[in-house]
Amino acid sequence: MEQRLANTWRMTVNEKKFIESALESELRIDGRRPFDYRRVTIKCGREDGSSEVQLGQTHVMSFVTSQLVQPYRDRPNEGTLSVFTEFSPMADPSFEVGRPSESAVELGRIIDRGLRESRAVDTESLCVVAGKWVWSIRIDLHILDNGGNLVDAANIAALAALLTFRRPECTLGGDDGQEVIWHPPEVREPLPLTIHHLPIAVTFAFIGDENMVIDPTHHEEAVMGGRMSVTLNSNGEVCAVQKAGQGVMQSVVMQCLRIASVKAGDVTSKIKTAVESYNTVRTLKMVKRHAPPSKAVDVNEPGQKAKQILEGQKLKSEECSVSQSDDMDVDQCKINKRSDMNQRFTGGPSSWDPYSEGVNTDELKATLASRGSVAVPMKLVNLGDSIRDETKSDEPLSDVNPVSSSTDSAGKETRCC
Amino acid sequence: MTSTTVSSFIDKPVVPGDVILDLSKMTDQTLKLGGGLQQDQDAITVVQAGILRFSKPNKYWIESSHKRYIPTVGDTILGIVVDQRAESFFVDIKGPMVAFLPVLAFEGGTRRNIPKFEVGTLIYARVVKANTGMNPELSCMDASGKAAEFGPLKDGYMFESSTGLSRMLLSSPTCPVLEGLGKKLAFEIAVGLNGRVWVNAEHKSSIILVANAIMNSESLTPVQQKIMVERLLDRVN
Repeated sequence: MEQRLANTWRMTVNEKKFIESALESELRIDGRRPFDYRRVTIKCGREDGSSEVQLGQTHVMSFVTSQLVQPYRDRPNEGTLSVFTEFSPMADPSFEVGRPSESAVELGRIIDRGLRESRAVDTESLCVVAGKWVWSIRIDLHILDNGGNLVDAANIAALAALLTFRRPECTLGGDDGQEVIWHPPEVREPLPLTIHHLPIAVTFAFIGDENMVIDPTHHEEAVMGGRMSVTLNSNGEVCAVQKAGQGVMQSVVMQCLRIASVKAGDVTSKIKTAVESYNTVRTLKMVKRHAPPSKAVDVNEPGQKAKQILEGQKLKSEECSVSQSDDMDVDQCKINKRSDMNQRFTGGPSSWDPYSEGVNTDELKATLASRGSVAVPMKLVNLGDSIRDETKSDEPLSDVNPVSSSTDSAGKETRCC
Repeated sequence: MTSTTVSSFIDKPVVPGDVILDLSKMTDQTLKLGGGLQQDQDAITVVQAGILRFSKPNKYWIESSHKRYIPTVGDTILGIVVDQRAESFFVDIKGPMVAFLPVLAFEGGTRRNIPKFEVGTLIYARVVKANTGMNPELSCMDASGKAAEFGPLKDGYMFESSTGLSRMLLSSPTCPVLEGLGKKLAFEIAVGLNGRVWVNAEHKSSIILVANAIMNSESLTPVQQKIMVERLLDRVN
């Protein structure tokens, strides 16, 4: 109880009163006016599909990854898109490890809805074999520092990561033209996602009776009575609206939408410049990579060997398909060692036992046997005594049989190793 | 009197494990050690990263900047009331434990007139007990039992900074930020060594200006601070 009191962040009465009363005269504690956005810094990471966004003190990191999976039954020719959030306790003492909090779920839902409902990412182009193989895109959002307005920052981070993400190219081939051939990035240039438009989230906080601010800070979020997150694109098309807390007038909602459409335009151009600069750096790197021809050959050779053949159509259950795509990378590494085994590989996870691999069965048996043999002689001595000393009763006799049989089996096992 | 190793470390950054003094080489072995230092037989070692400070004749301590506060007796701090019990208030001081403020630790405090503070009240107080394993104890009286500016702070705005910034604001001569701001604006300020700063002024805009100027000055040199304040004031006037 006391420890919890010491660990939670709290606000003084003075701060609350000041934030509210200063807003009456259109002043905010960080010197902004009610409709000023904080400075946004977008950094696209070293790898494809990663980004870091700073919005004032708020700091969010995003990663996008992909995987080949079986599609949902009702949408056999569409890829999937999912959002996962991770609230680090380092970002805010109120974030706890373990089960995602209410705010973490809400954040993920808002971003997920903005992207999915507006069909911003073209999921049909993620289909490889209809009904069998589609790409599943996963967006991971890590909150590194909470300075308020996580929704907007996380949304920008997700978009920047999606724009820089590239999935490996896949083609159909093999004997029957149904095998999925996965091309490593060294062989064929990975493909970017098809993104039709950028849904930008803009958050408003309602403080007091009449006051409204854009992009609330941590302190303003603690004071606010209600919040509205509007997701719209640079064309002014509203993709999603999330509204929590106190009620607001229709006219206020319309005003919010008008302001948000202006802000969305600004943020879109910022994301685009960040992504463009990332792309130029990326192309420059590629030019360097391909420059020395001898090296390029070295890189390509194992890659071509490693062309992965998946015999997807032979799989029956859904489980099989998921685990196989998991195994794909692992098999990729091993492929040089067992290139002769490559033809035999039919992606059969049914015979794959994670426990038997890497364990010497003989050794295992020996250890079991030695354990038995340590215990057994003691018992044998006791039993011998009991048989000799006591009169022949049924009880010790019934005990003798199971013990002697166990010594036999132990003896056999020690012999076989 | 002191060995030569001391002079090389004073006012310099030190890290845990540094041996700043060797007692066996000293003639006068009376020392007063402050926070961040530990005696290990004949060696005085550092246990906290920071800057080693020395005050004549024999006081040594480490100054560092943190977002958390480790209570030390005699520090003036800004605390937030989180709970009230029969004997004392529970006050958050940004430390590892909540601090106790006895209800009688006010000027003229008796059982009859116990002050009433709602949860979230900001209090300017003094640390009187800070033992390890115990909750620290605060007091709203100075050593002679007078109120001496201690007590609840009304209105204004409180913001949090690091302990290093608080120490800079309290240093003498007055730091360039406060000096520059004080020439043009009239404002009240209360600085707690636990990294909390309270500012009050007649106009809300000047409170915001002062608060942001102080928060921005943390990583600036004195000259940069002066320039920053001048630019800010020019823009306002």
